[in-house]
Amino acid sequence: MTRWWDGVELARVAERLVPGSVARAEAGACLLRPERAVETLRALRDDAETDFAHLTNLCAVDLWDRFEVVYHVQSLVRNRIACLKVETADRESPAVPSVTEVWQGAWLQESEAYDLFGIRFEGHPNLQRILLWDGYPGHPLRKDFLAMPGGLQPGLNEFAGAAPRPEPPVRPVP
Amino acid sequence: MNDVVQSEPFVMNIGPQHPSTHGVFRVKATVDGERVVDAEMVIGYLHRSMEKLAEERTYTQNIPFTDRTDYLSSMSNNLGYCLAVEKLAGIETPPRGQAIRVIMAELQRLASHCMGAGAFANDTGAWQTPIMWFMREREKILDIFEMTSGARLTCNYMRIGGVAFDLPPGFEERVREFIAPMRQTIADGEGLLSGNEIFLARARDVAVVPHELAINASLSGPMLRGSGVAWDIRKADPYCGYEQYEFDIPIGYRGDAYDRFIVRLEEMRQSLRIVEQALDGLPGGPHSTEVPLALRPPAGEAYARIESPRGELGYYLVSDEGPSPYRFHIRPPSLINLSVLREMTVGGSIADAIVALGSIDIVVGEIDR
Repeated sequence: MTRWWDGVELARVAERLVPGSVARAEAGACLLRPERAVETLRALRDDAETDFAHLTNLCAVDLWDRFEVVYHVQSLVRNRIACLKVETADRESPAVPSVTEVWQGAWLQESEAYDLFGIRFEGHPNLQRILLWDGYPGHPLRKDFLAMPGGLQPGLNEFAGAAPRPEPPVRPVP
Repeated sequence: MNDVVQSEPFVMNIGPQHPSTHGVFRVKATVDGERVVDAEMVIGYLHRSMEKLAEERTYTQNIPFTDRTDYLSSMSNNLGYCLAVEKLAGIETPPRGQAIRVIMAELQRLASHCMGAGAFANDTGAWQTPIMWFMREREKILDIFEMTSGARLTCNYMRIGGVAFDLPPGFEERVREFIAPMRQTIADGEGLLSGNEIFLARARDVAVVPHELAINASLSGPMLRGSGVAWDIRKADPYCGYEQYEFDIPIGYRGDAYDRFIVRLEEMRQSLRIVEQALDGLPGGPHSTEVPLALRPPAGEAYARIESPRGELGYYLVSDEGPSPYRFHIRPPSLINLSVLREMTVGGSIADAIVALGSIDIVVGEIDR
């Protein structure tokens, strides 16, 4: 059975490898500072204890005032998986450093997050839209991007834009 | 010779409408004569924005979407999603439901590998005979799916907490009747191709992925195992009681297209073993737990993964206690396995690029979602 790294325990390892790298640690995940993220992730990849050779999953989450990039990394030898996160500073021009030089597998997943969330991955060798075409208005997976014209949600008799932020706009009728 | 023949590189489109790309998938290949010097993929022709749509529907309503991502293995996709919701909401599945899920997921793996191995044989020039043999067996699996769930391709059979309905009468006999001919077809396909001189010339040492690159590029499934990494989620992180079944992980040693083909054939044999064991020990009892229709999991996040026919299929769900997921992310093995497309194709000929693409076994519905 794959064991999950405890976020607090992982934060201790990350702090030992790269001092000042951890912004916050919870039970489920370890939040890294964006400016030290690449350095920390490379150290965690090369360290014998963590050995995160395989980047399993990379995706972004819209948190209304900022975005969060989630990395699920695992060690195939030790059979342990961990969840690491990096948050962008703001929503207006979100940017996080790219980890393509640490894991090649991040290339397409970062392009996808750029396409659908508009997060710039600094240092990505070829950051461009992959699923949508160039010039597509907006980034569809952002929460303020409404799925249908007029802001009406399919199947729901409610205007999505009516609810103020940070309340999620999509709520079925009770 | 180079002094005499001068050639200039030019861009050639492979796809989007070409049988060898297995869907609407395009490779912008820069070729110098017959040699590929650069390859760039263009995707998005089938993008339906399922992740956005799923954020506006309830957890149960999202199950049919997962059928339509990887349309060659809908059962596996249903299973991965249901496991993620169950992990998020803390729902247990009864033993019978788990065993039925295992049988369905393994039959789906057989069906998908029939298509993958057959289409790969087609790409290498073994025109139509092997694929027809495999399609004949796949047809029987689809019939079994039809008698169980009512649909052949988009089954929509798994539910949160179990499966939609119990197995129909006569199911076990149908599956047991199917196993022996399937074994024979795998042996026939292997006998026809594995020692075939033309097949070896087309697939051996073509599109080699060394194991360091395979791990660094986040590959999974037969792509990773073909490169010699014995990593199978069914063994490493068992779900649905896979730890009870006895099976082996086949691996390749050279990491070439041939090894990936052989790994797929061997995996089919292992799947048959699992199906037999699951049928032998099929427990009684309910097939599903009661789950509220308007499920509201507690706030939090969950990442669950399964070994789908194409690799690690993960679902990352974030809940804000609402009736629909706050974030719904699919980790698509087909897309991520394409990370090494350039390494596999550059330096080879155009014909080798087709073999490389066939050996990844992509499903474009899953790449684009």
